[in-house]
Amino acid sequence: MLSSVQNPRILLLHCRWSKPLHHHHHRHYPKAIHAAAQAQAVSTSSPTSQIQIIQKSIHSREKTARQFAEEFINRLRLTEPHVKSFLHVSETVLNEADEIDRKIDRNEDVGPLAGVLVAVKDNICTADMPSTAGSKILENYRPPFDATAVRKLKESGAIIVGKTNLDEFGMGSTTEGSAYQVTANPWNLECVPGGSSGGSAAAVSARQCVVSLGSDTGGSVRQPASFCGVVGLKPTYGRVSRFGLVAYASSLDVIGCFGSSVADAGILLQSVCGHDKLDATSSKREVIDFTSQFVAKDYLESQPLKGLRVGVIRETLGDGVDQEVVLSIRGAISHMEELGCIVTEVSLPSFSLGLPAYYVLASSESSSNLSRYDGIRYGNQIVSDELSSLYGGSRANGLGPEVKRRILMGTYALSAGYYDAYYKRAQQVRTVVQKSFKTALDEHDILISPAAPSAAYKIGEKKNDPLAMYAGDIMTVNVNLAGLPALVLPCGFVQNGLPVGVQMIGAAFDEEKLLRVGHIFEQTLQGCSFIPPLIADEFKF
Amino acid sequence: MGSRALLVLAPAFLSESILLNHISRSGFHQLLTQNEKRVRVGGRNYSIHSNLERPDVTRLAETARISLTPQEAEEFAPKIQQVVDWFGQLQDVDLQSIEPAIRADTEAGSFREDSPETFENRDAIIAAVPSYEAPYIKVPKVLNKD
Repeated sequence: MLSSVQNPRILLLHCRWSKPLHHHHHRHYPKAIHAAAQAQAVSTSSPTSQIQIIQKSIHSREKTARQFAEEFINRLRLTEPHVKSFLHVSETVLNEADEIDRKIDRNEDVGPLAGVLVAVKDNICTADMPSTAGSKILENYRPPFDATAVRKLKESGAIIVGKTNLDEFGMGSTTEGSAYQVTANPWNLECVPGGSSGGSAAAVSARQCVVSLGSDTGGSVRQPASFCGVVGLKPTYGRVSRFGLVAYASSLDVIGCFGSSVADAGILLQSVCGHDKLDATSSKREVIDFTSQFVAKDYLESQPLKGLRVGVIRETLGDGVDQEVVLSIRGAISHMEELGCIVTEVSLPSFSLGLPAYYVLASSESSSNLSRYDGIRYGNQIVSDELSSLYGGSRANGLGPEVKRRILMGTYALSAGYYDAYYKRAQQVRTVVQKSFKTALDEHDILISPAAPSAAYKIGEKKNDPLAMYAGDIMTVNVNLAGLPALVLPCGFVQNGLPVGVQMIGAAFDEEKLLRVGHIFEQTLQGCSFIPPLIADEFKF
Repeated sequence: MGSRALLVLAPAFLSESILLNHISRSGFHQLLTQNEKRVRVGGRNYSIHSNLERPDVTRLAETARISLTPQEAEEFAPKIQQVVDWFGQLQDVDLQSIEPAIRADTEAGSFREDSPETFENRDAIIAAVPSYEAPYIKVPKVLNKD
């Protein structure tokens, strides 16, 4: 969206007039503005793949990798004091871009992500940068290896721009749970960016990087994508190797992708997915080319999604869901109908039971996974002459309150005699949830719901009410229990100008269909531009 | 639909599917409404099971090796209790004949051969150790303490 190929004034204009309105109201926009926008820059109304633009430009020598890198780094420097999405910014970005330019001059192969600035959530290991997972217990920790996803990014020619902020160990929904800083939502700096991958979502939203990696245990990619008006892709469990992802709840964790377009999120997934012998749960299934699915807007038929069976999950549009969010989702549904989809309602009766089951599983697994942080082999250690107080003190000092509470809840749920009552029951609910999704996806190609029950809320609003925060995860946790892929893409706005995302859920390993549908959806969605006002204000166009 | 799948799974499931329908009709927010020892689910009250002891935060903290200050223990107790009460709704669903799922149903589960490999970046591992005296990782004395 923000690139030299497009006229930035149009972006500014676009942003101002589309921001406070629902997208299906676009017919009511002043005709002159609407016509002007359409006539001058058709491409601004639908997100273009920034990765494809960069690839094309650097290979045709129209622009160098260094020029692209400078553009993003300059924007990062200007916006970062407000947004605070990064815990660490690489100092070698421009040198790496120069190296790519030299390779292109020598006609060497540079990889499909050459010159693409990728931000990485700080719970994903990078050998040459700190990896703290947002926790004081890992302050200054440098892993001895790269996560498999990071290794693959580097092999594809990507430039790692830095490490993004998160709720400590991924435990939270606002990024306020970071031990280091609070990240702001680029759409409204008083609001949270969502979480736990809030830094990765905000960084893409503010165009501080091209794409980013996050992780999604119960919605940590999809909910911040919705709050920040960007595309978030949670792949099928096992699609991307978890090697080097700091473990929170291993039966649920996946690495996910953020982009400013569906195409970018898909291209990023393409580079990081596939079997890895270092992760026994990573799938050996052959990876197909997701990106071949993308059809340019000009080649679309009038009803490009004709016959696609879409199921709207009834339980996700009822009580407890913000009415303006429901309106936006209804708008997205009408849009899909116009594209030829056959939309029906589907009921998932086990939906609400998935939430407590998820929290039992996640807390229990975290109490086991986080026992490794004992201050002995790495991380912060307190001074003590007695072993158990060295453990206890190092953990007390290094872990934050939400992490401690989840470990204690998990310790309780796993206590002798309680396993059957909590962990086993939660696993049985997981079976029920998996089966009800299976039935629904036998009858529908994709399922639709909001990505979160509300748009972004104020910083501090839910900080002291864990249950209120947990309730916000209702739209996303069931998808993790079932291990399914889901795509969140911006579809409208609430009255105060904050974006709303629609969640599309697909069958296991059918990311291809989600990306194809999502790409058509965003190419044809008129009158919505998801560029936050922050960058319009920061840049005097 | 889900409820039909549940019925197929086990005839004894009728009660659960009715309960689940209750929940889904009344919206998830009611799951969060609760009072002392009772959790309100879908318009009905379900008691927290009495055979499960309430969490003792100090003892849990010892088990989890986290030294809590008395103030922290006091502050955590009601919050942990609130969430554990909320977990209690899982007790009221009939799940008897359902197999537990340990993770998503993917085709994973292939283990690599258990053969030793040399990790190249050993220096980085050692550099991360907080108390190191070559070639040992130092910990407080655990044997023959007076």
